[in-house]
Amino acid sequence: MLKKSMRKPLALFAAASLAAIGLTVPASHAASSTIQVYISADTNIQDLWVKTLVPAFKLAYPGYDVNVTFDLHGDHDAQETAKITAASVLHKDPGVDLIDGGFTTTLGAAGLLYRPTPGLMPNIKDLNKTVLAAGKGGIPYRASSVLLAYNSTTVPTPPATLDDLLAWIKAHPGKFTYNVPSGGGSGYAFAQTVVDKYLSNADRATLVAQAAPELEAKWAQGLETLRQLNKYTYGQNGTYPANNAETLKDLATGLVDMGTVWSDQFSSALKAGTMPANIKVTAIKNPALTGGASYLGIPNSSTNKTGARLLANWVLSPVAQNLIVGGTLNGFPVIPLNKLDPKLVTAFAGVDILNLRAAYLSANANDLKSQWASTVPGK
Amino acid sequence: MISLRRKKNKEGSLTSQGGGPSLLGLGLSLPPLLIVLVFVGLPILIGLTFSLGFTTGPNRVIAIIGQQIHKKNHWWGTLSAYNDVIHDSRFLGDLGLTIFVTVLSTTLVLLLALSIALYQRLIGGRKAAVLVTLSIVPLFVPVVISAWAIHTFYGGDGFMKTFFTHFGVDFPTLTSTPSAIVIGTVWTSLPFAILMISSGLQAIPDALIESAKDCGASVFRVIANILVPLAKTPIIIAASFTSIGILGSFTIPLFLGPNQPTMLGVEISNFFGAYNRPQQSLVMAFIVFAIASGIAVLYVRSNIKSARESGRL
Repeated sequence: MLKKSMRKPLALFAAASLAAIGLTVPASHAASSTIQVYISADTNIQDLWVKTLVPAFKLAYPGYDVNVTFDLHGDHDAQETAKITAASVLHKDPGVDLIDGGFTTTLGAAGLLYRPTPGLMPNIKDLNKTVLAAGKGGIPYRASSVLLAYNSTTVPTPPATLDDLLAWIKAHPGKFTYNVPSGGGSGYAFAQTVVDKYLSNADRATLVAQAAPELEAKWAQGLETLRQLNKYTYGQNGTYPANNAETLKDLATGLVDMGTVWSDQFSSALKAGTMPANIKVTAIKNPALTGGASYLGIPNSSTNKTGARLLANWVLSPVAQNLIVGGTLNGFPVIPLNKLDPKLVTAFAGVDILNLRAAYLSANANDLKSQWASTVPGK
Repeated sequence: MISLRRKKNKEGSLTSQGGGPSLLGLGLSLPPLLIVLVFVGLPILIGLTFSLGFTTGPNRVIAIIGQQIHKKNHWWGTLSAYNDVIHDSRFLGDLGLTIFVTVLSTTLVLLLALSIALYQRLIGGRKAAVLVTLSIVPLFVPVVISAWAIHTFYGGDGFMKTFFTHFGVDFPTLTSTPSAIVIGTVWTSLPFAILMISSGLQAIPDALIESAKDCGASVFRVIANILVPLAKTPIIIAASFTSIGILGSFTIPLFLGPNQPTMLGVEISNFFGAYNRPQQSLVMAFIVFAIASGIAVLYVRSNIKSARESGRL
């Protein structure tokens, strides 16, 4: 009897638990005064938005509220890309109005971003045209460059050009490293720069602007140069650090005397004291290491494009750019230096921040990472 | 004897009584079954169709984003993505390393677990208890933490290298080598195998060991002819769980292994993320799945056999 009376609640419980799992879909938001910002990055970018940009924006536009969703290290980039793509295809609200993350350019390349115009977003007039065009709808809002970091105690005069650097690496076995291109942008920049050494300017520009599988055969010579470096780089049997952080660690602990690093990560490490003061950075030429902008994106399917445009336009204003440059991030601005606080600008002496050599379009970059992995390490 | 036990079992069994309790059984087993079907089975099926080039319906979005997508050219699909993977210069090296690490680490884990468990069973005492307790510690250390600990221990600026330098010995840098993956996987897999095998050995009655000894059997003979055969099922369970775990490992080979070749777990993630080739990464996942299923067959067979022996089936 007791068993029979239990059966019904049990079945109900079973049904309810199934329903609970199936129905946890995010609630939609209708209030147009709330701007949904999705950030996929490291904690320094989270701090930039949550502690610096958003409070200043709300002060300037009291009528708006900004809701920040943060995804550490872009762990959910694939899911978020799929969600935004699906929302766009199905004409549904993706729950995101403004994206700051590496996958913005992927969305742009797939034609899923709203393309900003100077009429509705006046501040994009100040941006570098090539950098803006490369975003395919993505809006560049801060930049950073890959630089050559070196131990000034053991290397008094660092290499000035890529050829000098390659010669230095061969003359000092085991003292240079760059991380796996698929693991971080600083190692990727070195790989692309060596590959670019053998390409014409026209080919380089094409690879930055559009998917060009037919040009990829021309990478062979550069990849061969990289393969030949295996016995001269740290590890000496073709093993490379897994990510940006590991290169920084190898430099800080003195395992290597030279390596490629992101400008902002290096500055932050120096300020935090995790990087000794005798490690310095320099820019090389012919060709320069790549750098690039980080892009904001407004999904086509966003239900609050007006708010997203307003926020993105404000981020490009001198007020916000000063915050990006002067805060803890140590980012590069994307607008001309003469519009910024002169005190902050001195830090960029020697780096042509508005004409950074761009990285390839993501589709080509993905192919380069894949080809590097098949031809260089351990070969 | 056996038939008697079975008969008794049938009489005492709950499932053979009327329709009510079997409905209850169904009600209890249905939610987990449905969850597995809907949230695991269905995605696997959708993944299989995508790897075969079905790029519409549920696969439409991923086909828009991914690179090097092959669309089906027969009613059943296409094997182009499988062809891509098999002819990729990385794949055979990755597969070889994955199988090498799985076989070597599983063997090492079983040998180590067996020796600790035998020590506890045959000699016992305080020391053995302390040893077993200590060997369980890795179970409570998250894999990421232990991977970094091993990295700082065996790295180019690690403890071993620094320590031996004081004596003029150049200790090899083990990080970025398959050896480091083996060290890492053995460390993380050992506790479970020890728990499994030592509990299996503890269940063997003292009388069997003592009577064998009385007949003049050596310790080695007791181990080979009594202890190991009687603990076969827990040993096979430990072996299959350990090898499936190592086969799909990600964190250890990512932090400690060479860049290339790497284990398939890491390569799947590279293909899915960094190279943006979801179809090819799924193909590799199905290959790992096929190998794991082979191991699972061993596990299920041994389970069925032990169930038969004890009369549950």
